[in-house]
Amino acid sequence: MKDLVEAVAKALVDHPEQVQVQAVPGEQATVIELRVHPGDLGKIIGRQGRTAKAIRTLLSASSLKLNKRYTLDILE
Amino acid sequence: MSDPGTPAFRKPPARPPFHREPLQGEARLDRARAVEELKRFLDLAVREMHLAVEYEITSPGEGGQGPGEPEIVVAFRGADQDLLLERNAELLLALEHIAHRWLRLDPRLHDQVRFDCGDYRATRLEELKLSARVAAQRVRETGQPFQFNPMSSRERRIIHLELTGAAGVRTVSEGSGDRRQLVIYPVKK
Repeated sequence: MKDLVEAVAKALVDHPEQVQVQAVPGEQATVIELRVHPGDLGKIIGRQGRTAKAIRTLLSASSLKLNKRYTLDILE
Repeated sequence: MSDPGTPAFRKPPARPPFHREPLQGEARLDRARAVEELKRFLDLAVREMHLAVEYEITSPGEGGQGPGEPEIVVAFRGADQDLLLERNAELLLALEHIAHRWLRLDPRLHDQVRFDCGDYRATRLEELKLSARVAAQRVRETGQPFQFNPMSSRERRIIHLELTGAAGVRTVSEGSGDRRQLVIYPVKK
């Protein structure tokens, strides 16, 4: 899932070289930490948070399929 | 499916969260490039998410046939169809939303790249038109406004259009963001 989040983020932003994604495994869930250039935050979040919500929808669906919970943290 | 308990981000964004690309000239879709990029996104998404679906990309709008037809349709089929269509096709529409951003599609071209699964789009269109007519009839009979559940702008548009010129009612959208909903009001003669 890290690869998917990373590819999506890189395709959406203006500074793909500054996209960093880390998967942090936890007891309850794997947290996918996404770091982007501050100027690109809006591209990731989207109007009214729609893009971030869409990425989270992909993660939730995968959680069902893979029986493993994923959450997304967007960091500046 | 989304978890409201998770903070959306740790810091508030430093600037308004949405930047719209300036619209320049006529919006045109580079179909070959778009199809190439869609495949890149979808192959990765299907593999990473372990989705049991196949997709087919077609161009119903090609060669000027069928005006109003989208340029590119991505149709999904397979065992995970239900997963794509759950909760008002939440996953299907999330994939479409990300694909539009991935392609950096001019907002005017969003209707030109459409994701579909089973007969979801056609059925939903009929469903919306039918409920528009039924609701309008009720508003005429009772004189009371009818408020729809919140819907996307595209779905509200279908109802607005269906009731354009309909006697005895007028339609407006009220509220903001995800909560925006269409209301049918009676018009006094």
